[in-house]
Amino acid sequence: MLAFTILKAATAAAPRLGRLALPGKKIIDTPCFIGNTSRGVVPHLSPDNLHAKTSLGGVYLALEDFIEKSPEAVPPIFQTPSLNNASPLTSYCGLPHDILTILGARRTPPVPCAKANTNTAVSILTSVGFRQVDATDYAAAVQRLKPDIAVGLADIMYDKGQISSKRIDKMGDRTGAWTRTLIQYCQDDDGEKGSLPHIFAPILPIESQLQSYYINQLLDDDLKHQVSGFTVYDAESLLHIPQELSALPRLALSEPNGPTKLLLEISLGVDIFTVPFIGTATDAGIALDFEFPPPSQVNGNSPKPLGTDGWLDEHAADTSPLAPSCECYSCRNHHRAFLHHLLSAREMLAWVLLQIHNHRILDQFFAGVRKSIAKDTFEEDKAAFEKYYEPELRDTTGQGPRVRGYQFKSEGRGEPKKNPKAYGRLDDAREKFAEGVLPSPNADAEDLERAGMGSVVL
Amino acid sequence: MEQMRMPSALKYELLAKCSTTKARTAILHLPHGPVQLPMFMPVATQASLKGLTPDQLESTGCRLCLNNTYHLGLKPGQATLDAIGGAHKLQSWPHNILTDSGGFQMVSLLKLAKVTEEGVRFLSPHDGSPMLLTPEHSISLQNSIGSDIIMQLDDVIATTSPDLARMEEAMYRSVRWLDRCIAAHKMPESQNLFCIIQGGLDLNLRKECCKEMVARDTPGIAIGGLSGGEAKESYCKVVDTCTSLLPENKPRYVMGIGYPADLLVSVALGADMFDCVWPTRTARFGNAIVPSGMLNLRHASNANSFIPIDDTCGCPACKPKEEGGLGLTRAFIHHIAGKETAAAHILSMHNVWYLLNLMKNARQAILDDRFPEFLRGFFKQLYTDNGKSVERWAVDALKGVGVDLEDMAEPTASATSTIDGEAE
Ligand SMILES: [Zn+2]
Ligand SMILES: [Zn+2]
Repeated sequence: MLAFTILKAATAAAPRLGRLALPGKKIIDTPCFIGNTSRGVVPHLSPDNLHAKTSLGGVYLALEDFIEKSPEAVPPIFQTPSLNNASPLTSYCGLPHDILTILGARRTPPVPCAKANTNTAVSILTSVGFRQVDATDYAAAVQRLKPDIAVGLADIMYDKGQISSKRIDKMGDRTGAWTRTLIQYCQDDDGEKGSLPHIFAPILPIESQLQSYYINQLLDDDLKHQVSGFTVYDAESLLHIPQELSALPRLALSEPNGPTKLLLEISLGVDIFTVPFIGTATDAGIALDFEFPPPSQVNGNSPKPLGTDGWLDEHAADTSPLAPSCECYSCRNHHRAFLHHLLSAREMLAWVLLQIHNHRILDQFFAGVRKSIAKDTFEEDKAAFEKYYEPELRDTTGQGPRVRGYQFKSEGRGEPKKNPKAYGRLDDAREKFAEGVLPSPNADAEDLERAGMGSVVL
Repeated sequence: MEQMRMPSALKYELLAKCSTTKARTAILHLPHGPVQLPMFMPVATQASLKGLTPDQLESTGCRLCLNNTYHLGLKPGQATLDAIGGAHKLQSWPHNILTDSGGFQMVSLLKLAKVTEEGVRFLSPHDGSPMLLTPEHSISLQNSIGSDIIMQLDDVIATTSPDLARMEEAMYRSVRWLDRCIAAHKMPESQNLFCIIQGGLDLNLRKECCKEMVARDTPGIAIGGLSGGEAKESYCKVVDTCTSLLPENKPRYVMGIGYPADLLVSVALGADMFDCVWPTRTARFGNAIVPSGMLNLRHASNANSFIPIDDTCGCPACKPKEEGGLGLTRAFIHHIAGKETAAAHILSMHNVWYLLNLMKNARQAILDDRFPEFLRGFFKQLYTDNGKSVERWAVDALKGVGVDLEDMAEPTASATSTIDGEAE
């Protein structure tokens, strides 16, 4: 059973401190962040690096990353042999067994879908294009994959156009119905949880009164004990959580653009974050560099940048760590000069080292936040942070890693292959300059065999 | 001829010789620790190996990897290398590094490169201005890199070139350039200069080159100019001829070799060290090396395959979770192959581990004096177990060193397959 203990209640001066515990999983102190995955991996980190080089206690996974084969075929993840009631999701992705898994329908942040949700289905984007997933299919997938926590489907329009009031009415109705469906799938016949996923009900990013009918349903006796937490899409929505259920943990699938915004969301009462800007910074070649509370010494007149742009030539022979006092693997073993070299040589290792480092910076940041809350100095420290650092992350001067498969905005099946390319002997030389490029995401084994890249063995 | 004595920064300690073939196993003591011969060396072209951290590379068992001088000369450049203190410090690799001379890369990567007695003339890939790489430049750059083994600049001609006069010129020029490299080498106490035997497929030229270069007494000896598309029969004859003329107490390095069968035949012919970009390059395309050949993880047939790449493999990716590995399945690697860089990392780790382990098993077999049986077992798995016959070139080459695979062989000599020449 999921246990969320509030170690220190929120006050006017500080948000709350909590502890999330599930049998067999790392204990997670909140406020905290979890890893944000793409196709089951935290980008750039193979599972051994995830395990040995970060201290992530949990990861967020999106069902849309796993079901491109359906409805024509059963997605392979559903066929994962699972031993001893283990989570097929954890097994399929090779995740350490003590990592908490949270499954949602969509990646965070999601790519907006052209087609609107219907009364019974939400629009998603798989690696082969847009499609819809039925609320019952989502519930069945959750039941089967056994994440520790499942996020309820929310009827949200991610492209944020004008929404008619009639449409807004539907949002609460649909979300309520879908949440009920999910709950039905995730309880045993006798109403017990067993090893079934815990449900975090969505709170919609709309006015309180516009979703009051839905939220009141959550207080019904049959639902109240089946909801284990809440998911918000912007921190302001936390206000809509009924007092009676305020002791439940809160996950934000929001998009804070930097630590300053993150602090604001923490102060509003979010317990768990996914922090997509870690990945954005990594891809941009930026080594995050901030701490909470900020250093006490005076910082001169101008606020300090929140990260170091690894592309800048000034690092070419700089053998200092990515951030001065960081103790991550990258900083203990490598230096800015190597990162600069790897970035300019476009070697994959650049983004591995950055990802490890940037996760550590957030890890320490949240540890600092928790300490500060415990000491009742959070609001003070937050103000000092805002004064010490620049308000936002700067833009990078370099280019990100090469575009990977999922970043193509796919239009659906049957489209022509992207980047057709023949790898032949004559082109060898040019290709060698492009080391680090992944082949076209749509190239299949036969293409490669034709190009002389070895023969296919079945 | 003037004898040029040079200090050596290595010690070759022979452990055992195969009583049938020319294979041998040894410990090679290098400035950054001992390595076991025969061995495969993965190629970390630009001071990193396909996204692997030095920790991960170490976990494959690697203790000697390659860096490419040409690439490090372009980036980060000699001035930066000097400022940082060399390639070990650049990449935080505590083990050994071998660098090539940069000449082969230049000739093969830059279409307008031209070889003169002075050196290799080429146009700068940055701004097109004319430049020259001399033996002195190459050694100076490798001194800045600080690699444990450095290679002489040589004049490389495609082995398939019909121009025997040019081949002869290149061979003698390589000898002259070796003298210039020895004279230019500033760190013989900490870096081991290897000469490179040239002479194309002409065995007389190769013999003459061996004689000239062995007399220069470099700490190690490479056999160069191969793996450029020549027939494998010719390749084997050159390696066999050279190893017979080389001193027993020095390591022998055949450049650009990496296919499992090629490695083991070359070991049987008396070679000790090999390098190739193939295992890591092919990983990028979703290919995994397995005892029965190659497995393409991008192939749809793997989507529902919930077994490791190779259940006999002990690499971090294949090893079961219960034994401390990741226990990753083919299905999951298929799921991320070509979409997440982690797939390339995982396959690179597997492929490098596979080749290093193959060589480890070969070493043990030589120690136990059962190398011929080991060869038979290997070829059985790779060919006959899959309903294929062992290629003629391998059968003939092994027959020449006393190992009979005739019962596994294809009936007629038809193999003209080539070794994939690769330079990064
Ligand atoms: Zn760090
Ligand atoms: Zn393996």
